[in-house]
Amino acid sequence: MKTLKRNVLAIPFLIWFGLLVGIPLVYVVVLSFMSRDHLGNVVFRFTLENYQKVFDPIYLRVFANSFLLALLTGFITLLIGYPVAYITSQLEPKKRNLAIALFMLPFWISSLLRTYGWVILLGNTGLINNVLLALKIIDKPIPMMYKFSTTLIGTVYMLIPFMIVAIYNSVDKLDRSLLEASYDLGASKVKTFFKIVLPLTIPGIAGGFTLVFTPALGLYFISDLLGGGQTIFLGNLINTLVNRGRNRPLAAAFSVGMILLVTLVISIYGRITKDKGEGLFQ
Amino acid sequence: MKGNKILIALLIVIAVGALIYVNINRSEGQEAINLMTWGGDFIPREIIDQFTEETGIKVNYKEVTSNEDMQSLLEANPDQYDLAVVTDYMVDILRQNGLLENLDKSKLPNIKNINPVYQGNYYDENNEYSIPYAISTSFLLVNPEAVAALGAQPITSYKDLWQSELKNSIVLIDWSVEIIGLVLKSLGYEYNETDPVKVSEAKERLFALKDNIVRFETNTPEDSLVNGEAVVGFMYSNQAVKGQAANNKLQPVFPEEGYPIYIDCWIMSKEAPNKDNAYQFLNFIMQPEIAAKIADITKFTTPNKAAEPYLPEDYRNNPMLNLPDEVAANTSFYIGVENVLEEYEHIYSEFKLR
Repeated sequence: MKTLKRNVLAIPFLIWFGLLVGIPLVYVVVLSFMSRDHLGNVVFRFTLENYQKVFDPIYLRVFANSFLLALLTGFITLLIGYPVAYITSQLEPKKRNLAIALFMLPFWISSLLRTYGWVILLGNTGLINNVLLALKIIDKPIPMMYKFSTTLIGTVYMLIPFMIVAIYNSVDKLDRSLLEASYDLGASKVKTFFKIVLPLTIPGIAGGFTLVFTPALGLYFISDLLGGGQTIFLGNLINTLVNRGRNRPLAAAFSVGMILLVTLVISIYGRITKDKGEGLFQ
Repeated sequence: MKGNKILIALLIVIAVGALIYVNINRSEGQEAINLMTWGGDFIPREIIDQFTEETGIKVNYKEVTSNEDMQSLLEANPDQYDLAVVTDYMVDILRQNGLLENLDKSKLPNIKNINPVYQGNYYDENNEYSIPYAISTSFLLVNPEAVAALGAQPITSYKDLWQSELKNSIVLIDWSVEIIGLVLKSLGYEYNETDPVKVSEAKERLFALKDNIVRFETNTPEDSLVNGEAVVGFMYSNQAVKGQAANNKLQPVFPEEGYPIYIDCWIMSKEAPNKDNAYQFLNFIMQPEIAAKIADITKFTTPNKAAEPYLPEDYRNNPMLNLPDEVAANTSFYIGVENVLEEYEHIYSEFKLR
């Protein structure tokens, strides 16, 4: 009886979830097995051809390229985000709240505009080059745009708040008495961090990584604007296939591949957090 | 106290809701047309206002970002849209899908103003479903001084883009059909070639171009020439016009091998709810003075022959806008994209991964 009462409250959410996530997902999967006619209209005829094309060596390299970008984005945001989250959690409450508000502030501005901000900063006639030229440190602009690394800067910048907040939640929950116990037993600060703090915040790290990795696979406008279209990621490919290619079934097959990639990462995350009794999905 | 606040908030919500409801109902009673096309003043606000003022017909303008979006919207709700402006190939798709109204020319006396050169094309051989509205082409925009400074030969054709001096100096529209089309033309072939031997020749040639490309950009390629990161770009005519306006050292080069043309056309939904108003609108914008004004604001080539005397001097003297006959004669459409797209997209992906 008790569980029933608790579950009743979940019904509106489940309906919402089913309508807005479940149905589109089923649609994408079904679509990926369909064919299309010469005008690009979807034809309801079962085929595995789309998946055959996905497993083409060139397209598999596109998967690998996206995977690499998302993985690097995850690691760099972790490297920068962990200290930031840790220091934030040590602040007094007022400053801490201010810091968290500041992390969230960029979300108030359109992500497209913020990406253009990087163009203004890094371009050949951008702020950095102009200042360096004016100071006569360089005599011609340093080309900083349209590289893989420029895209990486963009995705790291765009997604780092997710990492910081996930780790912050984890660090904040840490039982301070454990740290005191560690100091009392003669461990140094560094040793305490690596032996106590880090292992206990692994769920936060894994959560942040998942939150960063997943969108990094699909942010195609960043590679268009900052990467100058010099390489190709899954998001670009799917976008082209839907919009200009009029090949929605093939785009759906690529999307299913992308979903499987994300599922893999989330299942790893689930495994890491299973025994710790905390995580995003509990 | 708390209860009061909630009550006030509730009242505000109801009041706002009622206001919105009343406004929606009011606009329903009015004569209107619903059109959709590209945003960014593609159909200038000023022209629409003038139309509403003269006829009392309200124009609901839905902005979209691609031909394919328009297709989806039209297929989902054919009875909600009257007019749309789509690119040539999409006219062909929509008419084959049976979504277009066969236009009643007796209601469009001003159609006589349209230049026959831009009519009867592959997408509508008998001029049944479409009226050309805006013409654009793609060609090279070049900074000759910067090209010379790099030690490269002057650029007159696509072939010149392969000069090793132009390393990291070219900006291109980011679209497989367009770029492989450029390579095919440079080899003396036609667009959308399907012959595997010619295609593989083009593929090799395309790969050799990679090092010279600094950026692929479809929306604002002219910026790269204005800020100096590129010295030559392959782009749409309206972008080249903007680029030259920002930096008068930039010059258009119409490659001798030929270049693409695109015609954006008006089409009417078969199930359009306000057909008479829509005819009135189409007839209105085909008046010579109005067409000239539209051309000047949008910086697209107008298919309206009668508009020529009303075009401003600088527009008429600009070969990028007022296409000279020999330039117009050297253009071709991308026909049969569906036959080559998958192959080209695959080649293009491999090219990008290099």
